[in-house]
Order: sequence, then C-alpha cells, then structure tokens
Amino acid sequence: MDKAAVTTVQDLVQPTIRATNVNIYYDDTHAIKDVNLDIPPKAVTALIGPSGCGKSTFLRSINRMNDTIPSCRMTGQITLYGDDIYDKKIDVVQLRARVGMVFQKPNPFPKSIYDNVAYGPRIHGLANSDADLDNIVFNSLQKSGLWDEVKDRLDTPGTALSGGQRQRLCIARTIAINPEVILMDEPCSALDPIATAIIEELITELKERFTIVIVTHSMQQAARVSQKTAFFHLGKILEFGDTSEIFTNPKVEKTKDYITGRYG
Amino acid sequence: MNSILLIFVLIVIATTSFIVGRRRALHSVGGIIKDLHSLPNHYGWFSALAGFLPGLIIILIWIMFGGTLVDNITLAALGEEIRNLSDFDRTLYMNDIRNLAVQDAISRPVTETLKSAAQYYSRTQENIFWIFALSAIGISTVSAFFGIKKVSPELRSRNLLERLILYFLVVCSAIAILTTVGIVSSLIVVTLRFLEHVPLTDFLFGLKWSPQTALRPDQVGSSGSFGSIPLFAGTLLITLIALFIALPVGLLSAIYMTEFAKPKARAFFKPLLELLAGIPTVVYGFFAALVVAPAIRSSGEAIGLEIASESALAAGLVMGIMIIPLISSLSDDVISAVPQSLRDASYGLGATKTETILNIIIPSALPGIVSAFLLAASRAIGETMIVVMAAGMAANLTANPLEAVTTVTVQILALLTGDQEFDSAKTLSAFALGLALFAITLFLNFIALKIVRKYQEQYD
Ligand SMILES: Nc1ncnc2c1ncn2[C@@H]1O[C@H](COP(=O)(O)OP(=O)(O)OP(=O)(O)O)[C@@H](O)[C@H]1O
Ligand SMILES: [Mg+2]
Repeated sequence: MDKAAVTTVQDLVQPTIRATNVNIYYDDTHAIKDVNLDIPPKAVTALIGPSGCGKSTFLRSINRMNDTIPSCRMTGQITLYGDDIYDKKIDVVQLRARVGMVFQKPNPFPKSIYDNVAYGPRIHGLANSDADLDNIVFNSLQKSGLWDEVKDRLDTPGTALSGGQRQRLCIARTIAINPEVILMDEPCSALDPIATAIIEELITELKERFTIVIVTHSMQQAARVSQKTAFFHLGKILEFGDTSEIFTNPKVEKTKDYITGRYG
Repeated sequence: MNSILLIFVLIVIATTSFIVGRRRALHSVGGIIKDLHSLPNHYGWFSALAGFLPGLIIILIWIMFGGTLVDNITLAALGEEIRNLSDFDRTLYMNDIRNLAVQDAISRPVTETLKSAAQYYSRTQENIFWIFALSAIGISTVSAFFGIKKVSPELRSRNLLERLILYFLVVCSAIAILTTVGIVSSLIVVTLRFLEHVPLTDFLFGLKWSPQTALRPDQVGSSGSFGSIPLFAGTLLITLIALFIALPVGLLSAIYMTEFAKPKARAFFKPLLELLAGIPTVVYGFFAALVVAPAIRSSGEAIGLEIASESALAAGLVMGIMIIPLISSLSDDVISAVPQSLRDASYGLGATKTETILNIIIPSALPGIVSAFLLAASRAIGETMIVVMAAGMAANLTANPLEAVTTVTVQILALLTGDQEFDSAKTLSAFALGLALFAITLFLNFIALKIVRKYQEQYD
C-alpha cells in the first residue's frame, strides 16, 4: 500500500498521465496530431468530439492497446506518474495491469461470472489463496454494484447477463486487478437510460479511488460525470479545461457549436 | 446427340419468347416500368420458361422411358418364340439386338433374323424419337404463345418466378437426399443378404478376417472367416497415428496463422498449406511406400528393430500429413471467428499472447476445434490409397504400429477388384463393411455438426 502514499505526494507535483506532442498514424492516416494533455489524478476526464476525430485512438494509446494493431505507429511521449510508458524498459503486461480498460461493447468472456472477474487476478498472481481470490471477486462485484444481482449465480456464464449487467461485469473485471487508471471507451453507448444512469453513478463512486478517462458522445454524460473535458477535432485537441468551464463558457467557437449540437 | 439438338431448339424458342414477352410487358404500359407489377425481365423469364419447361419435361420422359418403349415395340414385333424365352435369355437377346444396332460386338453369331431385328430396332427408335421431338417443339411453341398472351401489367410474374425457383431448389436438394437414401438402402439390402451367409455376431465380433471361400461347391477350400475386428482395429490404429500427427501440427499452425503471422506471412503460408490438400492421395501413397516406409525400416534396423516394409506407422504418418491442412484450415476458421473484442478484453487486462490463446481463444474455439478433429477423423477412416500402398493387406490384429495392418477400405477394395462371383459371401461382405464404415463416419459427422451448431449460438 506504499504505492498510495507515493501517489499522494506525486499528485501535488504532477498529473497522473501526461501526453506530450503525441502523433499517431495508421499507415498513411494521421489520426492524432500533436496532442498535449494532462490528466489529473482521482478525477474523471471526458474526451468528447465528433466521430472519427481520434478519441478512441488516443485513449488506446494510454495503455498501449494500439500495439495490437500492426499498422499503428506513434511518436511523442506519454507518461504515467512520470514514467515513459513507451520506454523499452516498460513491460506492456504490467502497464495494462496499471491502466485498465472498459470497452464500448460489453465483452465478457464466455466463462462464468466468477471466472470473468478472477481472470485478471489469476494471470497477475494477485491472490495467494482461494479465499483471497473469493475476496477479490466479492469486492470487485460489490464495487461495481453487481454483487446483489449475481451472488446466487456466480457460476453461470457472464454472457447470459443483460447488457447493463455485462458492462458492470466488465468494470468489475477491470477493477479486480486494482489498476491506477481506468480507461472507458463509450461504456454506455450500448445501454438503455436506466443502465446508463447506474453506470454513471458507479463512475462517480469509482473516481474516489481511480483516475478515470472516459470517451463519450453524450454531452449530458460528460457534464454529469466529468471534472475535466477535452474537445477533440480532426485529431487535435481544440480545447481542454474544467468541465463546468467548457460547458458554460467555451472559448473556441467549434467547441461551442459541438456542445450546443450545432456541429454539422 | 439428337436430344442435345432438340434442347438447343427449345432454347431458341425460350429466347424468342423472352424477348417477345418482355417487349409485350413494356408495351402494355407504354414503357413506364413502375406501372408493371414486376420488372420487365420477370415477364421475359416468365414467357421464356413457359416456352422451355413443357418441352423439357417431354425430353426428360424420352430420356427416362424412351428406351423401354422402343424395346417393347421391338419385342412385340419379334416372333412368338423370342417372347416366350425366359426373362434372362430375353434380356440377353435384346442386348444383342441393341448392340448390333450400333454395330457393337455381340454374344452370338449374326443371323439374318437378328440383323433385321436390329434394323427394325433402329428404325423404331428413330421414329419414336421424332414423335417425341416434334411434340416437344409443338407443345413448347403453343405454351410459349399462351405464356406471352398472359403477360399483362397485373400478372404477378415476380411471385410466380420466385415460387418456381423454390420448386427448383427443392428438386435439387431432393436429388441429393434421394441419392444418399438410395445408396444406403442398397447397402442395407446387400448387407442383409451377406448376413444370410455369415451371422451378425461373427461379423461384428470375430477376431479373424480371411475372406477366402470356395469358388465352386465341389472345390476344397476354406469356408472363410469374416470377423471384422482386425480391420476396424487396423483402421483405428492408423487413424490414431494420423490424428496424433495432424492435430497438434494443424492446430498450432492455425494458431500461428491467426494470432502471430503478419498479413504478408499469412498470405504466403496459407495457400502453401492448402496446397498440401490438393496433392492426390495416390501421390501421398507412393510417397509413403517409397520414402517413408523404407526410412522407418532403416532407422529401425539402426537400433536393432525388425520392421516390416509395410507398416501402420508409415501409413499413419503420411495420412497425418495429408489431413494437416484439413485441421488447420477448419481450426483457422473457428479461431478467426472468436470475436476481436474478447482478445482486446484479455490484452486490456494485461494478459500476454500465450495467456490469451490458452485461456480465452482456445476455450472459445474449442467446440469448433473438436468438430474439425472429428471431420478429420472421418476423412482418415475413409482414406484408402495411402493404406493400400503403405500398410499392406494383412489383417493382423495388433496394436504395434511397426507391423503391417489393413483397414476396412482397403479390404473393400481387395474384395471387389478382380473377377468375383456376385453371390459369394466374400463379395457380399464388402457391402457389409461399407455399411459399417458409413455408420461410423455418419456418427462422427453427426456429432461434429451438433457441436458446431452449439458453438454458433455462443456469440450473440
Ligand atoms: N484500426 C485502424 N486502422 C486504420 N485506421 C483507423 C483504425 N482505427 C481508427 N482509424 C482511423 O483513425 C481515425 C480516428 O479513429 P478513432 O476510432 O480514434 O475515432 P473516434 O473519435 O473514436 O470515433 P468514434 O467517435 O466514431 O468512435 C479515423 O479516421 C479512423 O478511420
Ligand atoms: Mg471511438
């Protein structure tokens, strides 16, 4: 638990994630252009912008998921608590254990609910005993607000849950490895309003313990859950600041057009 | 030959009718297509088929029953004494007439009566054909005429065509099903006759296979034993050796192709692997007999083992190589079908490639892999050529892969090649073996399909 102590000291001096002059290309497509961004700790940062502007691409670069796409290249620097995550010395596997990810489409494994949550702890050796593992699974499901709904059927397949439950299962699966940062790419876009409200509530709770970066297409959602907002446009960040500031008093004309729905 | 010409005439009628019908439809609405119930081409096809189908049906009747009709007419014209011959002799006689009519060799001296009968036969055949041909053309023309006349903006030709296509598809699948049913039922009938000679329990559980029977009743000789266990044991042994090779190699190469290979490498390796599937089995066979078997033998000698020049091992090894592409391409399909989102989820949790493959991809694809395995097994069980050439014909009941064994398919081949008396137990036993083999592969395929079906429901 000394990690937490270190974190608090660092919080004062530096952001959790700092992107400097980041450029990302898919073959010839220049998807991210010279992006600089500081993501503060223990807060929700929303990435908004029109479709195809590079939000997902940027998000995926924070835990190096883009490495799995052969055509993807990146230049510039992204640091996590000061460590360059693209440094040769960095182990991607460990990085992804520190920076978890929740995807747009709920994607539970075709395994039991228990095994879904236990998957990460097992591969990272986080549990010393079966009781330990049970505990991690319990805590994660509890935190994701799913425990009461599934406690009697932990051995049924995760794929048999409803859409909203699946997404919460995916969140539980991510927090089970106790990451420092959670990346969420449109986590509610496949859900109905009630399931969305539950997840938004969950995000608000989770930010007490995790740094959260969320991509969303819903302005209301960004306004409700986030403290910081970055507006992406054609691969660039046009505006970044406090959410309240951006939504009430945007400085850039394009941001204003976008959040008021006038963007074509 | 003449039938082909006739079909050509029908096609001409149909084409004309297509053009006229289409024109008529367009004309009836003054060229405004949306006023027609269906598209102009639908009316064209409607008219064309009205012209083609009736003629086609008549041709089919000619092809199916024309021969019998001509035979019967010829027979009726022949004298009393021919008609009163036994069934068998009469058939033989008719055969000779038919052969003589096309100037083929016949089984008896050519007499004047026979010659004139043959001439009569040819003439009748020609006349009957023309009757059919003219009525086909006539009926087609009339029907085309009425079809075209029916064309009007209200005619629902699109729906009619749709229904016709449905019937056509039903007929096609019925042909496939009926053929299978026919083959299986003929297998069953002959097998029942075999079981009159040999009791079922002897066939299924007997440990000795030696199908030599006395050819003539007065001949001294063995009565033959028809225990099929050694054959099925041999089949099983070779199949197991083959799968032992093919499963790991095929599966691992599929994993390499889908998970590791760069697109360029994949584009290079995949066709190369599939090339293996295109090699004729007889080539594999002589590869097994001339390269692999001697190599096994000499390496056995090197360590002081006496190995037959024909062995289950040689056949199994080569058969394994043969089914690698089958397993790898089927596994490749099911592994690629595992959604990318599952891989992302696993990598996103910090799993390595190997962990993801072992924990997520293989379990998700497992049903598909199992069914690929079963399909490969039934392919191996049915394979003949390699075994004939490399494993021998000796029906040894052994689990030793270094001995010569034989398989079910090889024995069927041996039983049915050369001069055979059809009614002997020896020949009939081939059908019983065939039926048993069919039952086994059917069972394997059935299970494989069941698993695949279950698997398809898995990702929503
Ligand atoms: N795997 C890929 N290969 C090639 N080009 C890609 C790939 N993924 C994204 N791109 C391109 O990169 C650009 C940014 O895509 P990205 O998915 O990051 O946009 P986004 O802002 O997340 O859009 P959306 O809101 O629709 O999800 C787009 O032009 C897209 O076509
Ligand atoms: Mg996106």
